[in-house]
Amino acid sequence: MDKKQYEILALMLRYWFVLLLICILYILLKKVIIYKQGGTVKRTTGNIPFILVLYTLSAFGLLAGREPGGYDLDVLLLGAIISVVVLFQFYFLFYFFKGIDEVLLSIVDTLAVLGLVMLQRLSPELAMNQVEWFIYGNVGMFIFIMIFSRNIDLGRLTYPLMISGIAVLVVVLLFGKESGGAKRYVVLGPFSVQPSEFVKLIFIFVLAYYLKIKRTFFQNLPLYIFAALSVILVVLHKDLGSALQYFLLFISIYYIATSDWLLTGAAVATGIVGAAISYKLFSHVRVRVQAWKNPWADIGGGGYQVAQSLIAIGSGGLIGFGLGLGEPNVIPASRTDFIFAAICEEFGILTGAAVIILFGLLLVRGMQKGLESDKETDTLLVCGCVISLTIQAFIIIGGVIKLIPLTGITLPFVSYGGSSMFVSMCIAGMMQGISIKNYRLAKAFEALDEPDELEYEGEGFNEQD
Amino acid sequence: MSRMNSNTKVKVSMNRIKRNMRSCIFVLLSLYLVLLVYFAYTLFMYSDRWFADPGNTRVKVDMSNPRIIPGRIYDRNMLTLVETGTKTEDNGQVVFYRKYHELSRCAAHVIGNRQLGIGAETRFIKYLLGYDNNLIERVYQKAFLNREQGNNIILTIDIELQRYADEALGDRSGSIVLINPKNGEILAMVSHPDFDPSDPGKDMKNESLVNKAIYGKYPPGSIMKLITAAAAISHLEGAEEFTLECKGRTDIDGISVSCYSERAHGLVDMNRALEVSCNAYFAKLAVDLGWKNLRSTAERFGFNRDFIFEEVITTKSVFPTSGTKSTEELAWAGVGQDEVLVSPLHMALIASSIANDGKMPEPKLIHGIQRRNGSIVYKSGTKTALNTVPTEIAQALKGMMINAVEEGTGKKAYKQGIEIAGKTGTAEVGNGSLPHAWFIGFAPAEDPSIAIAVIIERAGSGGSEAAPVAGDLISRAIRLGY
Ligand SMILES: [Zn+2]
Repeated sequence: MDKKQYEILALMLRYWFVLLLICILYILLKKVIIYKQGGTVKRTTGNIPFILVLYTLSAFGLLAGREPGGYDLDVLLLGAIISVVVLFQFYFLFYFFKGIDEVLLSIVDTLAVLGLVMLQRLSPELAMNQVEWFIYGNVGMFIFIMIFSRNIDLGRLTYPLMISGIAVLVVVLLFGKESGGAKRYVVLGPFSVQPSEFVKLIFIFVLAYYLKIKRTFFQNLPLYIFAALSVILVVLHKDLGSALQYFLLFISIYYIATSDWLLTGAAVATGIVGAAISYKLFSHVRVRVQAWKNPWADIGGGGYQVAQSLIAIGSGGLIGFGLGLGEPNVIPASRTDFIFAAICEEFGILTGAAVIILFGLLLVRGMQKGLESDKETDTLLVCGCVISLTIQAFIIIGGVIKLIPLTGITLPFVSYGGSSMFVSMCIAGMMQGISIKNYRLAKAFEALDEPDELEYEGEGFNEQD
Repeated sequence: MSRMNSNTKVKVSMNRIKRNMRSCIFVLLSLYLVLLVYFAYTLFMYSDRWFADPGNTRVKVDMSNPRIIPGRIYDRNMLTLVETGTKTEDNGQVVFYRKYHELSRCAAHVIGNRQLGIGAETRFIKYLLGYDNNLIERVYQKAFLNREQGNNIILTIDIELQRYADEALGDRSGSIVLINPKNGEILAMVSHPDFDPSDPGKDMKNESLVNKAIYGKYPPGSIMKLITAAAAISHLEGAEEFTLECKGRTDIDGISVSCYSERAHGLVDMNRALEVSCNAYFAKLAVDLGWKNLRSTAERFGFNRDFIFEEVITTKSVFPTSGTKSTEELAWAGVGQDEVLVSPLHMALIASSIANDGKMPEPKLIHGIQRRNGSIVYKSGTKTALNTVPTEIAQALKGMMINAVEEGTGKKAYKQGIEIAGKTGTAEVGNGSLPHAWFIGFAPAEDPSIAIAVIIERAGSGGSEAAPVAGDLISRAIRLGY
């Protein structure tokens, strides 16, 4: 395509992209609202996979014509691969596992597709890698669905996982590669792995399995030590975003499981004191806070990232510059931490808002799954999953739009990064596994003439303190 | 804790978990809501400013081969101030450049310059590059034009009036703002020292690039008495009838307050005190009002407020907020000294609000936008930035301001045949230098069509230095038909 043709097409397709996304949101919103506990509503995938494939193919089809003189079929092929993966998920997995939640899957795929389109536009090479990781992520999701949809007790893995989690973080501290001021990566052969992402999985798992049983303070001590050590180690990596995420994840799950206001409050107080100390101690923390207060004051230095991000978001307007017509490469870290700003610039504020709403729907859907479940561990696991994703999305989107100080962390499912994509897909798999378990439970109840509801009440009465 | 559960290990209660989970999710959901609301709010308020930021590479135009030809800037009478011209280089290559009209020098800060990142050239780049065009127009331009064409901006500035104001200020540092009090259109806005927008390197002085009309922070001096008077009328019963014996250096509740040149004004009521600009009288009112009342009235006039206007960026005027300040500082704040700081534009807006029965208009710089085909879309519709004081108080202030020009300190602003309302200000700056000379006012008092703020830095008293300048400019503006 010649340059002008491309520009005209991109200008007009802006409306098309927003329209498709609104359709997806509308369908999802409807499904989340009319959802009934127990899964009596008919489970269908509706039109979502179709719309998603349409979105993917039109975006990649457009990008294929971006280089003047010729039409790059490789790009279109990449779009086709993504479409195949999406269709495979929706049709094969649904057939294979009864009870997979179509809303969760749709949200994950929509976010992933948005991220992949943006990456293809920002840097075609990285997009290729990311598609690869998206496929691995699907495998991870598959494995996690297999594990968590069965009634096996994984409790004995708790301690080994705790120890290996700490060990991995120590390894990063010793041998980690610095990038963007934080030691986030370890190089393993051809791969650059981000272990703090994987420890997140351990964190969710350990919290759920450890806290399902009521214990005394001293019996809980190993958990406290594990949590405190991980947070401290990640702070030492200067990976503030992950530290904040671990910390918030711990206190919310701990509170949910134990209702222990005293210790939760103490943990929050410790966290605040810790934050204050790190503000005094570390200059990089102070720079972040200054940049948050007024990025324009030091636009050439500490405020550069946030200021460029705001300029990009503000430039896009409601429906954006059009795919390929902006300059999102100017934003620092536009592929990873700041991908939200890049999306807002080219797809517009509406798409940005859609991303936030998608994460919100994920949260609500997760809660619905957690409430359905009849096992403490499962409920806690689902809590861990949704809270972890929510906190992560909030921290980075909030940082990018200057609601809170910026702490570098990836936007789950969207940002570039193999570890992030893989782990996020595993988290999604965990939730799907539990969704399947719930489905089987509901079927079992349906098989009985009268569901035995007294079971829960009995347990409720035993609670006394 | 006792347990009756039969299990060997005591599990935590499922109901409790689910209850906690619900509340936790509720909290997280409200976080997303905050995120969404903030996202919408911040973009609604600031996105235009971010887009126009000089650091935005997306709106950089490569003038040697522009993809979009930036539009023109007109004054309100369609005189071209800046346009995109072409010239042929020695090697035969045709290049584009921004061609400035010679009069654009008088409006240097308003027009600005893209390289310097100031003025309309930067601020209104969205229009100049045609990013406000609709889809059809943009597609048409991309498809059929060799180079896209931006829109032309018609400023509210009257370059004739702007030139008078520029000349009136001459070599002196300071600023003048002329504004239509009814709709907030800025007719002239001068800041000195200035620069040459067509050649920014030329005769650049220390503060040349700062538009003092919007970014200047000056002590207001006696202009503040208008606000103290408004506060007294609204908070103190019978304030207008209150009298005080001024001895030149008067003892107010144990604080010694001196008037300008230590002149004794004798027995004064509010009207007379404003007319002669008596410090003692207003210091007494300030002390009687207290910090809280005085501050609340000042804030009603827009002090301590981040004004977010669509077309004009301005600095925040400051009224001290510290609770630990002494009564002496309060007395001086009441006559516009202490730590009170204001911008000239804000003072012009205060004059406008008094002229306009208490309604402060939102200042505007864009009169209209001219599209490629020549059609002009005028930006009509006045926005009220603030409702300051009730009509009766505005009327009372107006009456006192008329007297101040007819018989008081503002006498030198008096013009035959025009009823001008005004207030002088003489702001001490210390260091043994002359005070800043202020004048704010509006005319004709009956049905105001022009409001003005003049500040001349370190020039002397407002009555002798600023008032004649203001009187002149007002009469010229009225002769021009405003
Ligand atoms: Zn006096």
